[in-house]
Amino acid sequence: MARTSFFNRRKMKTSKSKQENQIKTTIELGTNLADNLKNIRTLLGEPGDLIIRETTLGETDTKCAIVYLSGLVDQDLVNNNILKVIQSNINEIDTNRINEVFQQIIAITDIKKGTKFDDVINSLLSGSTLFYLDDMDTVLILGTTGGERRSIEEPQSEALIRGPREGFVESVHTNIALLRRDIKNPNLRFKSYEVGKKSKRTIVVSYLEGIINPTLLKEVNRRLKSINLDIVSESGFLEQWIEDSFLSPFPQMINTERPDRVSSSLLQGKVAILVDGTPFALIAPITYSETLKSLEDYYERWLVGTLIRILRYLGTFIALFLPAIYIALVSYHQGMIPTELAFSIALTREGVPFPSFVEALLMIITMEILQEAGARLPKNLGQTIGIVGGLVIGEAAVSASIVSPVMVIVVGLTAISSFTNPSYSAGIGFRMLRLTFMIAAAILGLYGIILAYIMLNIHIANLKSFGVPYSAPFAPTYFSDWKDTIIRVPITMLEKQPKYMKIEDSKAKSNEEEQK
Amino acid sequence: MTPMEDKDLQISEKDIVILVPSIVVAVGILSLPAKLAGVTISSDGWIPLLVGGIIMIFVTWLVVKLATSFPNQTFLTYASKLVTKPIAIVFTLLFVIQGIIIAAIEVREIADISKVYLLNNTPAEVLSLSFLLVVIYAVSGSRAGIFRLNMLFFPFIIFISLLIIILSIGWISLENLLPVFQTSIGGYAEGMKTGIIYYGNIGFLLFYMAFAKQPKKAPKMAARGMSIVVVLYILLFFVCIGVMGNGATTNLIYPTIDLAKELEIPGGFFERFESVFFTIWVMAIFTTALIALDGAVLALQSVMKKIPKLTIIFCLAPLVYFIGLLPKDYVELSTFGTYMAYFSLILLFCVVILLMIFSKIKGVK
Repeated sequence: MARTSFFNRRKMKTSKSKQENQIKTTIELGTNLADNLKNIRTLLGEPGDLIIRETTLGETDTKCAIVYLSGLVDQDLVNNNILKVIQSNINEIDTNRINEVFQQIIAITDIKKGTKFDDVINSLLSGSTLFYLDDMDTVLILGTTGGERRSIEEPQSEALIRGPREGFVESVHTNIALLRRDIKNPNLRFKSYEVGKKSKRTIVVSYLEGIINPTLLKEVNRRLKSINLDIVSESGFLEQWIEDSFLSPFPQMINTERPDRVSSSLLQGKVAILVDGTPFALIAPITYSETLKSLEDYYERWLVGTLIRILRYLGTFIALFLPAIYIALVSYHQGMIPTELAFSIALTREGVPFPSFVEALLMIITMEILQEAGARLPKNLGQTIGIVGGLVIGEAAVSASIVSPVMVIVVGLTAISSFTNPSYSAGIGFRMLRLTFMIAAAILGLYGIILAYIMLNIHIANLKSFGVPYSAPFAPTYFSDWKDTIIRVPITMLEKQPKYMKIEDSKAKSNEEEQK
Repeated sequence: MTPMEDKDLQISEKDIVILVPSIVVAVGILSLPAKLAGVTISSDGWIPLLVGGIIMIFVTWLVVKLATSFPNQTFLTYASKLVTKPIAIVFTLLFVIQGIIIAAIEVREIADISKVYLLNNTPAEVLSLSFLLVVIYAVSGSRAGIFRLNMLFFPFIIFISLLIIILSIGWISLENLLPVFQTSIGGYAEGMKTGIIYYGNIGFLLFYMAFAKQPKKAPKMAARGMSIVVVLYILLFFVCIGVMGNGATTNLIYPTIDLAKELEIPGGFFERFESVFFTIWVMAIFTTALIALDGAVLALQSVMKKIPKLTIIFCLAPLVYFIGLLPKDYVELSTFGTYMAYFSLILLFCVVILLMIFSKIKGVK
């Protein structure tokens, strides 16, 4: 019952906000050049970067104007390919067939005709140049998008030792080009959406026709169409809007800066979503085991890849359970610790005034603060934090008998292990879960840990990412997909598309439909 | 974001293979060697265990065969066709009672065992309540999720069982296992009676088989699942007797856990292996309690279609908890458990035989 009312409220809210915020102008395009230019000036509030160049067409008397926002356009293109040709070439003009003539004169390939003021303004804001001609209610929109952009660099958040050094940039067109260079296949599709109520953003859905499951594509499109946001300034907005469960600690899409990661996912029949203005692309659907994969597993030889992947699973286990198990053993099951070790732990804990849970909590919170502070600081200061925070505070805390040395080892090992997770977003989820396990261990010991673990499994078993169960390929079981989970078999034995994507099923189904 | 619409639940062959051990393997095996060793001499208990197992493999096959001869129909639908609706409803409600009581026994037993092996000072009520809450959380999720859970936990259960068996091989002494075949016929019969009830409670297969993806293969798969249980039981019984001897095993309450106590993990990471073993075994008990409660919910749903699932769960859960609190001590709980096991077996036999006869009479192939 509660659920339905919750959704009703949400619906009401969205319908209300729809009426409030829409970029709708009542202005129409007229035939008078001066009026049209005045309209643009007043709508934008006469900004300093709005350039309006009024001139005449060649040597005729017809007045015309070029309008653009400096900084968003490629200045050379405007000067050489538009202004110059307009001013020089023309001697005579047939005003009735103006548009055809212009398409021959202006030396730019991307030309559109604009008849609606809204379209015209939107393309002006995204870097196009407008060409107005007196006595015409049609505007030519010239694709001159340019200006200063970041160049292609090595991705900061996903450094690999071996692998391509290219990373995505903020321009979606560059990103598309990067993918095209990776996959030279005519079936590679890019489908664009314009999203956002207050500011339009280009969102590009990329997939490989023929490999992708059509049901998945339909679902992605359905979700993208439901977006009702003011602005999509990062792919994170999009991710949160279209993800399956917003209560889950696990990301249901992977974000990546690496074109090679996106292209390998596309070849597996997945969907990538690129957003203009951010280097982070989204990949969907994913499963739990996907969050522990790194591309390097494939670039290195299979034995190395497998070992490193097992190490990563071990790291995740330690990052999740070690503090909890330590708390459970020290507070409830002392008998389980080997005798000598139990004695030495008891010895080091002598003088520590807190129970082990409080001790662990203190250390874990300190560590989280250090981690957060390190991420916010400039790069060259980050090291200082590591030294001051990690070494000095840790050492001092031990000698002041606030924490025991064993606890420092436990927390240190936990922190390092949690960095083995290749996906930052998934790693954050584990940090939350670690705290949950610690609380469970503090209340019910090992019994609490196993109950919390069962609950985690219940959650994972019920979680889906775009219709694919998060626990695949373990449950539901696809044995052939196990070749690329905890272990990574030699590349020659690796199948391109995982079974859990149900690509074969969808192909069979579409074949059946065709035969009917 | 509203999730993608879940298609109709379908359970694959692998799910069925794993469903049977998930239903059957739980607290029973922890005390089985003691009960069985009490009525047989030295290691002879494996014979009634094997014979009972073979009978139950056949029964499992029969149950699933019956259920899947009406593909994609719920128990209530085909039972109503065969033996009128009121009787079908009575049967369904009996299964509901079975589910509630089995869940209650599991919830109670887990608290009792945890108190002995893990947390000596925590009140049993807290232990059973926290376990029950986790079970409720799982039941309120999707039913497909429950099958995925079985699949996720099964490897752990098999792994820890195999580990305990392999580690104990070095400790087995032949004197404990010999002499063989000394038990009288009466002893074997007694052993059969004791042993077979630990295979019981597979009645819920009647309800779950409505979701089988390939009904034709299902009986074979379920029988295969039951064989896993039989092999596991016999192996664990053997190592218990082999390591501790018939006499000591008889006197223990949970010999399988105490067997783990005898063992040492190479490397000396943990002492008291029995705590680790029981911690993992919580998963096995969990899947059984989960299927019992979910089976009860599924059966009730088929009778009362209009009541939402969550309402049913929240009505059943307090019942489970309080029934679990009823037995005063281990003896009462054990007797209660035994009667319950007989009840579920007799119910299963009655329903299957009755429905078989009627389906023959009414000429369903």
